[in-house]
Amino acid sequence: MLLIHCPYCEEARPEVEFVYGGEAHIARPLDPSTYSDEQWEEFLYIRSNPRGRHHERWRHSHGCGRFFNAVRDTVTDVFETTYKAGEAKVKELGK
Amino acid sequence: MSGFRLADGGRVDRRTKRNFSFDGKAQWGYAGDSLASALLAQGQMLFGRSFKYHRPRGILGAGVEEPNALVTVDRGPGRMTPNLRAPSVPIYDGLVATSQNRFPTLKTDLIAVNNMLSAFFPAGFYNKTFMWPRAAWEKVYEPIIRRLAGLGDSPTTRDPDHYDATYAHCETLVVGAGPAGIAAALEAAANGGRVILIDEQEEIGGGALADPAQWAWLAEASAKLSAMDNVTVLVRTTAIGHYHQNFVVAAERLSDHLSLADAEGPREKLWRIRAGEVVLAMGAIERPLVFEGNDVPGVMLASAARTFALRYGVAVGRKLVVMAVHDSGWRDALALHKVGVNIAAIVDLRREIAPELVEAARNAGIACYPGYAVTSVTGSLAVKGVTIALAGVGKGEKLECDAVLMAGGWTPTVHLWSHAKGTLRWDESLGAYVPDKTHENLRCVGACAGAWDFGSGLAGGLLPAPKPLHESKAFVDFQNDVKARDIGLAVQEGFRSIEHIKRYTTNGMATDQGKTSNLNGLQIASGVLHRPVTEIGLTTFRPPYTPQSFGAMLGHHKEALFQPLRKSVIDDWAADQGAVYENVAQWRRARYFPQGSEDMDAAVARECRTVRSSVGIFDASTLGKIEVVGPDAAEFLNRMYTNPWKSLEPGRCRYGLLLGEHGFIIDDGVSARLAPDRFHLTTTTGGAARVLNMMEDYLQTEWSDLDVWLTSTTEQWAVIAVQGPKAREVIAPLVEGIDLSGQAFPHRAVREGQIWGVETRLFRVSFTGELGFEVNVPAQHGRMVWEAIWAEGQKHGAAAYGTETMHVLRAEKGFIIVGQDTDGTVTPDDAGLGWAVGKKKPDFVGKRSLSRPDIVAAGRKQLVGLLTHDPQAVLEEGAQIVADPNQPVPMTMIGHVTSSYHSATLGRSIAMALVAGGRDRMGETLHIPMPGSTISAKVVMPMFYDAEGSRLNG
Amino acid sequence: MAETGVEIAEIAVSAAELKLGTEPVECAGVRLSRAEGKVRYSLRARDPAVLEGVLGRQVPKKIGDTDAGIACLGPDEWYVVLPDNFDLPRGEGLPVSVVDVSSRALGLVLEGPGALTVLSSGCPLDLAKLGVGRATRTVFETVEVVIWRQAEDRWHVEVWRSFATWLWNAFIAAMHAAK
Repeated sequence: MLLIHCPYCEEARPEVEFVYGGEAHIARPLDPSTYSDEQWEEFLYIRSNPRGRHHERWRHSHGCGRFFNAVRDTVTDVFETTYKAGEAKVKELGK
Repeated sequence: MSGFRLADGGRVDRRTKRNFSFDGKAQWGYAGDSLASALLAQGQMLFGRSFKYHRPRGILGAGVEEPNALVTVDRGPGRMTPNLRAPSVPIYDGLVATSQNRFPTLKTDLIAVNNMLSAFFPAGFYNKTFMWPRAAWEKVYEPIIRRLAGLGDSPTTRDPDHYDATYAHCETLVVGAGPAGIAAALEAAANGGRVILIDEQEEIGGGALADPAQWAWLAEASAKLSAMDNVTVLVRTTAIGHYHQNFVVAAERLSDHLSLADAEGPREKLWRIRAGEVVLAMGAIERPLVFEGNDVPGVMLASAARTFALRYGVAVGRKLVVMAVHDSGWRDALALHKVGVNIAAIVDLRREIAPELVEAARNAGIACYPGYAVTSVTGSLAVKGVTIALAGVGKGEKLECDAVLMAGGWTPTVHLWSHAKGTLRWDESLGAYVPDKTHENLRCVGACAGAWDFGSGLAGGLLPAPKPLHESKAFVDFQNDVKARDIGLAVQEGFRSIEHIKRYTTNGMATDQGKTSNLNGLQIASGVLHRPVTEIGLTTFRPPYTPQSFGAMLGHHKEALFQPLRKSVIDDWAADQGAVYENVAQWRRARYFPQGSEDMDAAVARECRTVRSSVGIFDASTLGKIEVVGPDAAEFLNRMYTNPWKSLEPGRCRYGLLLGEHGFIIDDGVSARLAPDRFHLTTTTGGAARVLNMMEDYLQTEWSDLDVWLTSTTEQWAVIAVQGPKAREVIAPLVEGIDLSGQAFPHRAVREGQIWGVETRLFRVSFTGELGFEVNVPAQHGRMVWEAIWAEGQKHGAAAYGTETMHVLRAEKGFIIVGQDTDGTVTPDDAGLGWAVGKKKPDFVGKRSLSRPDIVAAGRKQLVGLLTHDPQAVLEEGAQIVADPNQPVPMTMIGHVTSSYHSATLGRSIAMALVAGGRDRMGETLHIPMPGSTISAKVVMPMFYDAEGSRLNG
Repeated sequence: MAETGVEIAEIAVSAAELKLGTEPVECAGVRLSRAEGKVRYSLRARDPAVLEGVLGRQVPKKIGDTDAGIACLGPDEWYVVLPDNFDLPRGEGLPVSVVDVSSRALGLVLEGPGALTVLSSGCPLDLAKLGVGRATRTVFETVEVVIWRQAEDRWHVEVWRSFATWLWNAFIAAMHAAK
């Protein structure tokens, strides 16, 4: 069971309190009607699925209830960092 | 009969005898004996029959690495445990153990004929031999194979035991309480943090238990540990696996070592331990050598013979020969000699051996054969002697003996290290993989890290032999009956990766997980392939480290506590009325209320008629409910649901349809606006948590500027549906502060007031097509209000109805149930709910998808009604539908039945179905092929009763 | 060589027999009881000051802190557990959410030196580090709970009503195992 640092609670908590929320930083368009079928397909279904650093969403469902973002290595399962929803994407290690 | 109890020595308590039975025969040992040591002391050498060939097998090891001596311990009905390792079973008075995989007895095993036919059972034989005919697999081959090959029998009755489980937290967890583990625990404990030290054996000490020189230190260290408040020592506890971030799961055996009379409380306890640092001190396992006859009972690891002698005071034979490629074999031989075990000879493949070892052996009167190898073993049920030859190919010399000790070097026990995704490094000098890098705060100490003081030796277990590999009967994996030549055959047939070789030969599989076979298998494959070991790859060690009962995994989650069964506050009333239940998500709900000898059909027919003719009362408490509060509540719902919400006036309700962003229906429910900034939402029973999570997702991550908050109120409100023409008359005498008249309180309205003195949110809504109310009251008052309504209802002939009647009534009206009439691929238009989509709304969740090409294409499956030509025929839900019943098989299926019931109101069956292009097929006859017959039905609109809705407005 | 006819337990049927006790249960140095009748509210606000204005009282600001019956469970969420007959204003029209959830949950109380052991049997948190006066939402096995440490050896556990029967009996099972 993973330990996940919740950026709102500011402590590491057991994985069973959390729900995984898929890839992060895929914003819903402000006006979906302006999207072409191809753009909409991209938004709905296309995900990066990387081997390595993955920006992803978690929700501390059985804790503070907040959605937040994380960078996790999909090979090692090691969390590089977690940060609050709405904060800028963490581009590189340490930045 | 060769093993015997030494005159003294060992840690067993020679003043306390323990009586037990093995294969029905009375046996005895001393307190502190294992099943293996006690039986060896009685001269027993034969412990089991092998997995595939049913070859006679004895003891190989003295611990969990034992692959052969698997036994079944029977502790009474439901308490039979197969596949226990005899060296790890402590004896107690009354222990009943039996050997496995033999018929009828160990000595006379009729199935051993397999052994004579073994030329026909090479690697991969299952895959090759039993392919065709296909039907024969299930009926002929599999039952026979299951009878011939296999481990012990599974228990067939309910396990009466209880199991405990807990989480635990510590700064340092030490796995393995040998000298290295104890030292690590003492050091960590001195720093003040919480320390947990666990060991799988009966007492701490590990390898020191077989070294009397360390016993004084061990006693002192043990006392020191027990005196520390911050240290928890768990014995008889196996670390099953290491999981992410130092989460180690271990199982403690609490009572299996006790006689039945003394065993109280839970049988096992599952420890789920989160540790800051984990120290693995799991030691190393000695490697067997691979030579002809190395599986004859009496051939065992040198370390095992040493443990039996020094820890248990048991000599494994009267005249022993040691076959070594490693210094540790010489040391073990000398230690055995010192306590009176007769070592006749030490054979060592190496020509150069440390002179001090050779000198010590010669001084002890032990014959030494440097440069020699054992080439064969005489004896079938027990060792009678060995043939040795210079370099394995010289002229054979016979040595008489009754046991052969193998010293093939050591393999660090890196199983848990590998579970933690720690990498391994090949150490050429050790001839073994040792721990390298890890992402965890994890380290190995002692022999587990390859740091041992057993001396050095050759790396490679396959001894040179006069016979070519493909003719030899030298075993690599004893538990799975894999011979060196099977690995050769696998390579010859084109398998290159060790992962493939493992699966083809079964080397290192099953309960053993390659504890003694892994490295030998790798090195033999490496030799045959002429490639270095490091290029062959390494198979993966997986949890559990040793076989583990399911009971401990479940902990308290057994029988009544298996999982929560959610019951509404009215459930007990229904039970008193004799309700029959069904499970919906985690809830149990009353399905129908049979009276007298009624079956379900009769009860449902009566309940339906009562609702349509007078009034029925239904417990709808399990419906999901969400309170949506804040200045932006209407704006938020407008974005979530397909239909408009901003215009809904306080005091009114609306049916809401919720789509996923993909445009498919995922939930629905009627919701009410209580105030400009307060809504009372309902969801389906099963969708409550999912819908709340989805709404929170949008609110927090897409529209975080909206001032609106969601609170689950599912369990706050008990919901009592009162439905039928008399519904108003039933509740009227109980309600205060609400005008129930049709004008003041129209259909799809909500009012707040009191019922039976309790605050209520009273909805005028209907899922039956009748005049209806849903009475929401705080759950703590639900039962009381239900009884008041019930009492009032009796004046009008009311019936309580269950979910089955609810389903029939709504189907008569063509109302869908999300998840039954939809399956995650149904759009509002597919379901005939296009009217619920706000055409003028610029956006809502899922709107953009409704104009995708596939969604607007013709021929999509649409919800229709079906009326069977035979009005009494009730279709099966899920049945497939075809247009032409005479087409050849496989037929083209154009849809399936989603809901189907007998309608008492209509005196015939009704059904709903998803059919391709369904609404263009009105009036067509379709066919539903069933076993033995085909049912035909006419396509109609999914609305069977009161199409104009006049009954709602009573 | 397994025999046929393995007996399958009817889990749901046996679970229906579980009862939620009304009288305290004592075992292994632990006392399990039902909390007194309570008023419960779920409070939400982006800005705690607005909420404090509506309530006319302070709310704790740090997640996990409690103050006079109000626990801060999330950055914009508070949970109120108070004695009976306590009505909070709703703050109509203001950017707050005040929802009465008195009936939604029941309170169970574990007291005594063994209480931490019983809670740790199914809660994955390191509860020894949850200070007195702190509260958190978490899980006990598969069931969501709010654990409120009211004194060194007194733990108040809030659980949704329909899960309370299971939790009550799971606590008793853990108490018996700790004997």
